[in-house]
Amino acid sequence: MNMPTSKSLLWAFLPFLLLTGACKEQATSYGIEEVLVQPVDLSGKKEKTPEQYIAILYANLYQRAMSPNQLVKATETITSIGDKQVAYETVISKFMNDPEIKLPSNEAMRSDPEAFIEEAYKRFFVRVPTQAEKTWMINYINSHPEVTPEHVYYAFAISNEYYYY
Amino acid sequence: MSMKRREFIKKAGIATGAALTMPYLLPTGRLFAQTGSEKAKHVVFVLFAGGVRQQEAVLQRYLAESQDLPIEGNIMYNMLTGAPPELKIVYGTTSPGGQPGGQPISPILQTPLDKQGTLFPEIRFSKAGTGHFVGLSTGVSGYYGTTQGLRQRPIRPTIFEHVRRFTGAKATDVWFVGNGIGNSTPLLNHSEYPGFGARYAANFFAPNITFGNRGLEFLKGFKVYHPEEELLPVREMQAFLNNGFNLEGKEIPHLYNTEEEKFSIKEFIRTTFERLENNQVAFPPVTDNGDLTTIGYATEILRWFKPKLMVINMSAVDSCHGSYTSYLKSLHRGDHGVAHLWNYIQNNIPEMSGNTIMIVMPEHGRNLNPNPITDENDWFAFDHDSDANSRRIFTMMVGPNVPANLRVGSEANPVGDAADSAMTIADILGIKQDVLGTGLMDFGARSLFDRI
Repeated sequence: MNMPTSKSLLWAFLPFLLLTGACKEQATSYGIEEVLVQPVDLSGKKEKTPEQYIAILYANLYQRAMSPNQLVKATETITSIGDKQVAYETVISKFMNDPEIKLPSNEAMRSDPEAFIEEAYKRFFVRVPTQAEKTWMINYINSHPEVTPEHVYYAFAISNEYYYY
Repeated sequence: MSMKRREFIKKAGIATGAALTMPYLLPTGRLFAQTGSEKAKHVVFVLFAGGVRQQEAVLQRYLAESQDLPIEGNIMYNMLTGAPPELKIVYGTTSPGGQPGGQPISPILQTPLDKQGTLFPEIRFSKAGTGHFVGLSTGVSGYYGTTQGLRQRPIRPTIFEHVRRFTGAKATDVWFVGNGIGNSTPLLNHSEYPGFGARYAANFFAPNITFGNRGLEFLKGFKVYHPEEELLPVREMQAFLNNGFNLEGKEIPHLYNTEEEKFSIKEFIRTTFERLENNQVAFPPVTDNGDLTTIGYATEILRWFKPKLMVINMSAVDSCHGSYTSYLKSLHRGDHGVAHLWNYIQNNIPEMSGNTIMIVMPEHGRNLNPNPITDENDWFAFDHDSDANSRRIFTMMVGPNVPANLRVGSEANPVGDAADSAMTIADILGIKQDVLGTGLMDFGARSLFDRI
């Protein structure tokens, strides 16, 4: 006499399992804490218009909105120069000469470069840096005593990622 | 001893190679730029644009074929040979207590340009509607974009792209100077045609804005960073940030200026603001409209960069839609500006003097019949609606290898086409065969030198 195999037993009990299992409410907890997930996927980004770029840049540097009149004039200035990299770099360096822009102090950056870098990534790229990005930037700041928060912000503002959203 | 001889041969070989100039691989893959048939080293192409009626320009009819007044005369006496009108002078400047516009601007050139060079008095804008943007794009690309829309780059490659692609010219060797940023003017510095595009674009300024009130507010006094101590770390951090955003084509739009060229452009901006402050910008003697300030800034760009090709766009004559008097003033000032430009090149830019060909062409003409609008003198205004008259324009060339005092064509026998200018520039700079080989200009476009 052949013993029933596990496979044939499974087939025999399958309707019973399906009927009973379908009626049961699942209440599973894995004990994972909720975390804020920020996008690091860079695909599918769109180019900012000159208006968007200038408005966001101004808000990032001055921590206040640009007036509509100023925005129109700034955009026209950008449009009047063919090479947009040259145009943006020149306008940004003009902003950098303005004592009203809100920059962290050099002491603040040097005393806690990690917090400074995290803040810069959030301010300009609207995301948290990866560990590799953070490490590289912190090492760079620590190994270049001549670098100021202005230089770091300037680099972020003229980076390609900042130009896309 | 034999080693020394070998070293000597090696060094001599390097020196000889350097003396003969290192072969330069062009973007097209060719080893050497074609320079054998170059007619001049530099070209300045003035788009005398805005829509110019033949009657008030080449035909010198002043009020005779527009307002039913029997007063003829030449108000473009720097460019054309002919006596000015004697009555109803409205196109000049206004002296204190005098008639408005009653003081004609003094001529700059002793010999009019038509005597110095060749005039094609009856060129045809043969296809497409006589609109400004399609006219300008035809001028810079040699192709009638009959489906060309505003807010769209020229359909076919511009002459800027051909020049950069076939001669290996740098971005700062090629300039488009716009009279403003309206009417999609900033889009004319390159097409998006496959194989051409931004990589071969012209640098662009709309200098009345760049150096006007807006530029004063957002550019003047920009911070100049130290190249090694400040810019170097900025560039290193920028490169790192860009590496993390390594998506093909997703970069801030640019025209492939090198770092040195970018620095030079910024220095030019900074210096021009300084020269403005010190009244050193080489504006024409009379500078009372946008075309003339544009010409003034164009001379600054020529002086600084000495480009291989510059195209300058004017537009003030388009006031003719609503004011014939204003149109006459602008026409007179356009002539003044062109003369100043030519004079400045010959007398103030030694690298370009005697080695530059200037081409002047309106982008299209204006209607034969007026619209109902009258101005302060009760004179009728004129539009441009693609009638036969609005297809009549002229082209003038002056400079080395251009026959002097020559007129080619007439009203009964028109010679030349609006699409010819781009091919003519290619011919002057020695790349005509390359451009012809692309088949991307109008099939009827020819170098004006081949039409003489």
